[in-house]
Amino acid sequence: MSLPAGACNRLVAGSFEGTWAELAPVAAPDASAFFVASHADALRVVWTHATSRPRESLIGSAGRADASLVDELLRTGLAVVDVDRDSLSVSPTPMPRPTVPGRLWLLTSGSTGRPKRVAHTLESLTTVHGRQPARTWLCPYTPGAYAWWQIVTLALTIPGQDVVFVPPDHLDSWADDALAHGVTAASGTPTFWRQALLRSGKALARVPLAQVTLGGEPVDQGVLDRVAAAFPRARVSWIYASSEAGASIAVHDGLAGFPEGWLGNRRSNSGTDGDRPVLSIDRDELVIASPHRGEGVDEFLHTGDRVEVRDGRVYITGRLSSDEINVGGTKVSASQVRGVLLEHPGVAWATARGRRAPLVGTVVQAEVVLSNPSVTEDDLARYCAARLSDPAVPRRFRFLDSIKLTGSLKTDV
Amino acid sequence: MMAAVLAKQGKGLPSGEDAELQDIGFRSLDFSELALRVEDEVGEELNFDAPGLRQIHTVGDVLDFIEILISE
Repeated sequence: MSLPAGACNRLVAGSFEGTWAELAPVAAPDASAFFVASHADALRVVWTHATSRPRESLIGSAGRADASLVDELLRTGLAVVDVDRDSLSVSPTPMPRPTVPGRLWLLTSGSTGRPKRVAHTLESLTTVHGRQPARTWLCPYTPGAYAWWQIVTLALTIPGQDVVFVPPDHLDSWADDALAHGVTAASGTPTFWRQALLRSGKALARVPLAQVTLGGEPVDQGVLDRVAAAFPRARVSWIYASSEAGASIAVHDGLAGFPEGWLGNRRSNSGTDGDRPVLSIDRDELVIASPHRGEGVDEFLHTGDRVEVRDGRVYITGRLSSDEINVGGTKVSASQVRGVLLEHPGVAWATARGRRAPLVGTVVQAEVVLSNPSVTEDDLARYCAARLSDPAVPRRFRFLDSIKLTGSLKTDV
Repeated sequence: MMAAVLAKQGKGLPSGEDAELQDIGFRSLDFSELALRVEDEVGEELNFDAPGLRQIHTVGDVLDFIEILISE
């Protein structure tokens, strides 16, 4: 078996600093679900999967291995393997079956219910091809997430793509790591970037980023502008990608939303247009037919993401399932409220949700992190009242000291 | 607290408890906000169903409601 083209790329993951080829392989059953203690352990599993005999693998961080998930995986014919450096704990499956060669299972985040398993291969996860400028990427994503795999496959398949992985306990201080290891490109969620700029803006300004990528959450103009101002020499891009849909949208013009002209199926009813995903809207929902989708996923996937078309652009505003707040019979869009708050120059981060209240059943409550501490609740209420209908104006504000970041680097909404 | 809700909208609290809510522009959403302010002040979830809401027409009714709410 020939080695992957990126075998000599440099990886920095905790105490490991070396190339793919220097990673110690993991000895485990051919069909295994690996729960790893660190990025370095996850990379060993990736390297083993990519270079040994055909295997079937799942990678997740150790924190995701709850008893019911482990039991479910064992019953689907996967061994469950806990990896922590040299320590390997193997639980064999009670229901062995033939390995599906090359299969990689991804777990969805489970933010809207139990995590689902989505079937991929290294090939389907590899969405960047051809020559690329040499980069040292920063990867803050948790092992096994789709965004993590996007960076990992880039480093595995394209020479000149080095990666510095951020351990969970360095998420607040990654600027120092980035400077120390010469990071020139970084990818993260809008929440990740908002937190980073709020906490470490001055330190970050010294990181010579040539590429900044945002994804995993709705990307608003405010965060794009802040990132562009912080890194004036960087190309700022946002992407839409998920385990199920695959990488589907990439926007590089510095604007939120994507051009309305991208909608439509140029080959009617024929699925994808070559290697380009086909985008459409069904009522308010984004529908994607992507060549990068997981195996068995509907060809035209209803994503569950709400979109709005304004002035020739299509904006992805949030999850349909969690967007609607019923205020006394009036439907209020939580993402619209959040969007208005995020436009306020003194707000670094915000979210909006319904709160049980007498008479009207529910009112809008906002949680806010300020970048300008002199901003008051009344200031924000007036700002919202000038831009939103009366029921949509938050009636209660909670001011938080710091931006809340979930394990998937997203705002928990 | 009622004054604070009104003040956000540039309105003032009338001096008498007989003032009609409709006349001073104190609407359903304002009433809801006031109840949530009380809940936040008390620091525990309140049972909003307990006092009943049919009789609330005046400033005095609102104050009575809040009193019952807290004492439940």
